[in-house]
Amino acid sequence: MAFHYVVTAHKPTAVTSCVTGNFTSSNDLNLIVAKNTRLEIYLVTPEGLRPIKEVGLYGKVAVMKLYRPQHEKKDFLFIVTMRYHAMILECVSDGDNLEIITKAHGNVADRIGKPSDTGIIAIIDPKARVIGLRLYDGLFKIIPLDKDNNELKASSIRMDELQVTDVEFLHGCANPTIVLIHQDVNGRHVKTHEISLRDKEFVKIPWRQDNVETEASMIIPVPSPLCGAIIVGQESILYHDGITSVAVAPPVIKQSTIICYARVDPGGLRYLLGDMAGHLFMLFLDVESRGDGADVVKDLKVELLGEISTPECITYLDNGVLYIGSRLGDSQLVKLNTKVDENGSYVTVMESFTNLAPIMDMCVVDLERQGQGQLVTCSGAYKEGSLRIIRNGIGIQEHASIDLPGIKGIWALTVASDGKQDNTLVLAFVGQTRVLSLNGEEVEETEILGIASDQQTFYCGNVIHEQIIQVTSISARLVSAQSKTLLAEWKPPTEKNISVVACNSEQIVVSTGADLYYIEIHPNELIMKGHKTMDVEVACLDISPIGENATSSQLVAVGLWTDISACILRLPDLSEVFKENLGGEIIPRSVLMACFEGHSYLLCALGDGSMFYFLLHKDSGALTDKKKVTLGTQPTALRTFKSLSTTNVFACSDRPTVIYSSNHKLVFSNVNMKEVNHMCSLNAEAYPDSLALATDTCVTIGTMDEIQKLHIRTVNLQESPRRIAYQEQSQTFGVLSVRMDIQDSTGLNPARPSASTMTQSVTVSSSVGSLSLGKSGVSGVSGANTAPEYGQEIEVHNLLIVDQHTFEVLHAHQLMQQEYAMSLISCQLGDDPNMYYIIGTAIVNPEESEPKQGRLLMFQWTDNKLIPISEKEIKGSCYSLAEFNGKLLASINSTVRLFEWTAEKELRLECSHFNNIIALYLKTKGDFVLVGDLMRSMTLLQYKTMEGSFEEIARDYNPNWMTTVEILDDDVFLGAENSFNIFVCQKDSAATTDDERLQMQEVGQFHVGDMINVFRHGSLVMQNLGETSTPTSGCVLFGTVGGAIGLVTQISSEFFDFLLEVQNRLSTVIKSVGKIEHSHWRSFHTDIKTEPCEGFIDGDLIESFLDLSSDKMKEVVDGLQLVGEGGMKQECTVDDLIKMVEDLTRIH
Amino acid sequence: KCPDPKPKIQAANNFAIRSVRRQIGFQAKGLDRKFIHSRFCPVQTIRLPNDDGFYTCVKFLPGDQNIVAGADSGDIRIFNIHTGNEEASFSAHDSYVVHTEPSRDGQLLISSSTWGRPLSALWAMSNYEMKSSFENEEYMEFSKAIQDRLIGTKGEVATIYDVNTGVGVTMLVPTVSNQYTRNKATFSPNDDLVLSDGVLFDVSTGQQIHKLDKLNQTQSGVFHPNGLEIVSNTEVWDIRTFQLLKTVPVLNQSQVVFAPINSTIYAISLEQEDDEDPTFETSFKTVDASDYSSIATFDVKRNVYDLAINRFDSQIAIVENLGVYHAPQESVVRIYDVGRKRDDEDEQEEEDEEDANDM
Repeated sequence: MAFHYVVTAHKPTAVTSCVTGNFTSSNDLNLIVAKNTRLEIYLVTPEGLRPIKEVGLYGKVAVMKLYRPQHEKKDFLFIVTMRYHAMILECVSDGDNLEIITKAHGNVADRIGKPSDTGIIAIIDPKARVIGLRLYDGLFKIIPLDKDNNELKASSIRMDELQVTDVEFLHGCANPTIVLIHQDVNGRHVKTHEISLRDKEFVKIPWRQDNVETEASMIIPVPSPLCGAIIVGQESILYHDGITSVAVAPPVIKQSTIICYARVDPGGLRYLLGDMAGHLFMLFLDVESRGDGADVVKDLKVELLGEISTPECITYLDNGVLYIGSRLGDSQLVKLNTKVDENGSYVTVMESFTNLAPIMDMCVVDLERQGQGQLVTCSGAYKEGSLRIIRNGIGIQEHASIDLPGIKGIWALTVASDGKQDNTLVLAFVGQTRVLSLNGEEVEETEILGIASDQQTFYCGNVIHEQIIQVTSISARLVSAQSKTLLAEWKPPTEKNISVVACNSEQIVVSTGADLYYIEIHPNELIMKGHKTMDVEVACLDISPIGENATSSQLVAVGLWTDISACILRLPDLSEVFKENLGGEIIPRSVLMACFEGHSYLLCALGDGSMFYFLLHKDSGALTDKKKVTLGTQPTALRTFKSLSTTNVFACSDRPTVIYSSNHKLVFSNVNMKEVNHMCSLNAEAYPDSLALATDTCVTIGTMDEIQKLHIRTVNLQESPRRIAYQEQSQTFGVLSVRMDIQDSTGLNPARPSASTMTQSVTVSSSVGSLSLGKSGVSGVSGANTAPEYGQEIEVHNLLIVDQHTFEVLHAHQLMQQEYAMSLISCQLGDDPNMYYIIGTAIVNPEESEPKQGRLLMFQWTDNKLIPISEKEIKGSCYSLAEFNGKLLASINSTVRLFEWTAEKELRLECSHFNNIIALYLKTKGDFVLVGDLMRSMTLLQYKTMEGSFEEIARDYNPNWMTTVEILDDDVFLGAENSFNIFVCQKDSAATTDDERLQMQEVGQFHVGDMINVFRHGSLVMQNLGETSTPTSGCVLFGTVGGAIGLVTQISSEFFDFLLEVQNRLSTVIKSVGKIEHSHWRSFHTDIKTEPCEGFIDGDLIESFLDLSSDKMKEVVDGLQLVGEGGMKQECTVDDLIKMVEDLTRIH
Repeated sequence: KCPDPKPKIQAANNFAIRSVRRQIGFQAKGLDRKFIHSRFCPVQTIRLPNDDGFYTCVKFLPGDQNIVAGADSGDIRIFNIHTGNEEASFSAHDSYVVHTEPSRDGQLLISSSTWGRPLSALWAMSNYEMKSSFENEEYMEFSKAIQDRLIGTKGEVATIYDVNTGVGVTMLVPTVSNQYTRNKATFSPNDDLVLSDGVLFDVSTGQQIHKLDKLNQTQSGVFHPNGLEIVSNTEVWDIRTFQLLKTVPVLNQSQVVFAPINSTIYAISLEQEDDEDPTFETSFKTVDASDYSSIATFDVKRNVYDLAINRFDSQIAIVENLGVYHAPQESVVRIYDVGRKRDDEDEQEEEDEEDANDM
């Protein structure tokens, strides 16, 4: 059997819905954003959006609405999920803690019924009397909101209109009244229905308007006093209230389709409209007085405001600021200006929110050769298309670098300056100290009179009273920061040399072997205030002040040799208040007291790259909650630094790590540098908020990117990237991308500048080519030679060559008209030493049900030129390519074909396999080929070298509509399908009959809740790093349509059983928002079946253990058994489980 | 009137375009299903073990491994789909088996024949022993939502039986018969209604609810699994309003079989008793079950007697007979893969030739 652990490494980022209102309290203005299964709640403040809570749901949000219940002062949230769970949520604040309470919930699905093509629509009566749902054709469901009922029960009303495009509640009606657009054989019509809540039926039709625009698709209800509704079509906008009807057809909206709107003012005179091309419009209702005091709509005006991200939803916040939720690009916070800018736009983007969705393809590379993978994704679509470089950890932007080998320490100083900015760097070397002065961007060596340059400095820094302290092996020297002269010197009373030192701006502790001295810094003097002889020699010291604004410390942390312990001493008498034996044989090399988010910690790094950390009780000095983490493999030095006004810790080692706190948990995030031996904060004039980092050979000055777990860099292409391949030899990426060209009076022209049009070097596949387009079967190819219609959009496909360092597009090769680029690999073939980019294409005729022709194109990128090497005509679309034993494997329509690369540099067909509907995906391992089919799940083929043919080894007979496949190991295969599930199939080699052997067994299934477009072997974290309590093997990353990145890894059966027990306990302890059962959410669910989740552990649920309060944690582990050393069952403690779950979080 | 605007997002008829759009998040499952249901590839041919006689009807058995086929001799045979081997057979009736239906749990099988007694019988699949016999029921099937009842048809009379006891529970007789020549009483997807002889009955009360207009001579009609419609020959009725929603000419004189996810109708022509010998069509049709648009007509070049769909809609089985009605020369049950093109092999040969020419 196969057991797997699946977890999200990067949460979905595509925004599907957004609402604004008073959710967290009647005074708070909130923005709530739905991203697939997650809700993000923000507070709208004058400074911007402040995230205040994130909620995970056991369901994909289909509709989210905020409404004001009768007699309430704040808003409630109503949500329907894709699997028809409905819920009403209230936010209750309890001090700092915000809690989401499920007021009511229920499943509103019908056992039979035809789900509507236009999806799930949910609407709420403006007076909050009733919720309306359109889920199935011919049915309208209502949920009355009159009484306090915690069960949401929908009653169905038969609706004669079968095909309903949109439906809304009208304002200002005595009884709840809906208005809808429906379609019949004659076209689209607008109709209203008044609902009787008592009889639960439609009672009358207040008004109707037949034959509106045939593409009318959106209704905007207009609030009182105007009332009525606005019907938005493809080319026209209509206002109707039963009496008045005003229609306009502004030319400006014709270019694209309007897909979302936001009401600006409560009176409903102004609306914002967003279209698929990313245009933002303002719609004004022009009113005139009817004479009786009431107003009536006279005219509609539409004005183009500017360009935004391709919107999915828009909501108006306040003061001309709106939130644009995007599924295909970055979401935005934008401001509307009253004056037009130089580009003719009224829109200013205030903030962008990174979105990876949809992840079309990705590759795992290690560009910096650090043993850690990075992901490069093809993200977004159309004008939002981009490449995203994603790496675990924190990026350092390098600004300057000085070659200086042998650095033993580095400190920044402010010398002879009025300002607060650093202007000097002190560097320690064996037997000497050198001083660099920073003058603007210039760095030059200098001397400071009072600083001893013939000694190795152990510590140097600015201290109180405008003084500088330097500690060497001989003495501590106090130097004037202004005159640079030596003011005082302290030497140990014995002849022994100083071995270890720690210092803050007012205090010093030094040790000479086992002797410990405490010195206070005063104006022009150093006064020894304490001395103690320890039992063993001191290995490391710290005297960092803890707490905000503290400048001196009451405690000293000491790491000791030989007995391998950490103690806390109290100042000034250096009395021991706490001692913790660390165990093991590795000596502590660096201790640090630090405060994160109000909690004090003691960090203690050992000589083997591991680190203990404890909670430090400031008053008692006691250490509790001991935990261990592996940071690197070499001795680690800990330093604090400031980043954006919070203090963080930098662990210098062979795997530099930043330690910070998030959600009251310590997070360890590695830095994209190979090794750092020493570091200090540097805030110089030319290098503000920087770090100076010393490696074996040089000093680097750089700034740190925003601290977050995954670091994402964006390369905008402005066109849709579809496939990516990495070619190490040429240091390039190949990217297949698509742009839109529009036929105008001068011919086909790009719709906008984008990656393929802006590059210097462009080649074009001859449109004559070698393809005989007149051949049988393709006589119907229209437009191959005839010009497209005026205004028609045509997709133009390109191969882009992108530099791996700069991500500059070096070259674009344009394919023929109607030729789609479908697949891409970089590989070597046969004995040919050259590395090639190979593209599989399809000639797409919209009239045909599938392509009948395509090409295999081979290119070589060399000397900054793209050289066409070979071209092979094929009979269909090449959906997937793979290198296979030096040959080229291609899936072409329903076939899998193997091509040999001959000495004459031609692709020659060697053998084929025919047993698929459409062979969409190929993965290979050794002699095995895994094929993912459109509907027929996965098939395993084996290549028989002797016969030169494929043999079908095993097949999964379940009807899974695949979206991608992957080989986990020789017998285990992973598939993703189009109802958002993943499953694992196993080849049963030991089966007794041929029949059984030929059938793959589905041994695992799991509902991910998002469509997976790509699987790649690889990992985002360093591999084999120290010991872990949670052994996992292999790692497959996946990218989804919703912009999430996740991973699947194999675990042992024992560990699986243990985690399953934890998962079951967690699913009862953690009350799900909306009261959806965890087991229901993760059950394998398709149009034809729903089966329980099997063979997978839900890592997202397991990791949520760390967010629980300690009594909840206790509840989870109570009675939990764990197989300890020697196979004995033992009680699992909270700490055991925390350690395990923390280790699990480190696999991504 | 101004010209209608052109829809900007056109339906992507070509799969290559859909495959790209699906990655962005625009699924078109309906079009994919249409694509699947336009292509069929024969994968297994199951002949009668002895040469005399012919197959008359077929169904897939639960478990996806076997089919059950009825023959003109009254025998019922069970075959393995993968090997084509006969797994079991038993003599069920004295004559031509017109219909069989296994229960969803695979425990029971109902069968009906043309003459001899009993006309219909319920079998235990564990030992192929008769559980209940129904002397005069010409056609029987299980209830739909919960298979605890059977409904039998004799002329215009429908009788509901309890599965466990085989005892008649309710008799549904229309006040005025429509006299359809091939009435087949059937339960609605919820089991709350029965349609028999063009009349809708309420199961709980046994009362008539509505009589559909009689627009053809043969078929009373079947429920669409979506619970909203009745397909009666070429007519599609709205169950709730009894209004005629659509007329679908391709379904004329056809037996309709719904694919399991309600997305597609397979239609096979009923035999036509033109002169003395009934005749069969050699093709079957697929129709989109949501909008009743025609998808494909697939010619198998033999007379199609019956068609069955497996529970995943990934394979179909067809009874194909060659020759005249009562004495076909050749009789097979052929299994087809749904969605696969049949000409793959031909194409391969063609290409091999081409390659040979190239060299």
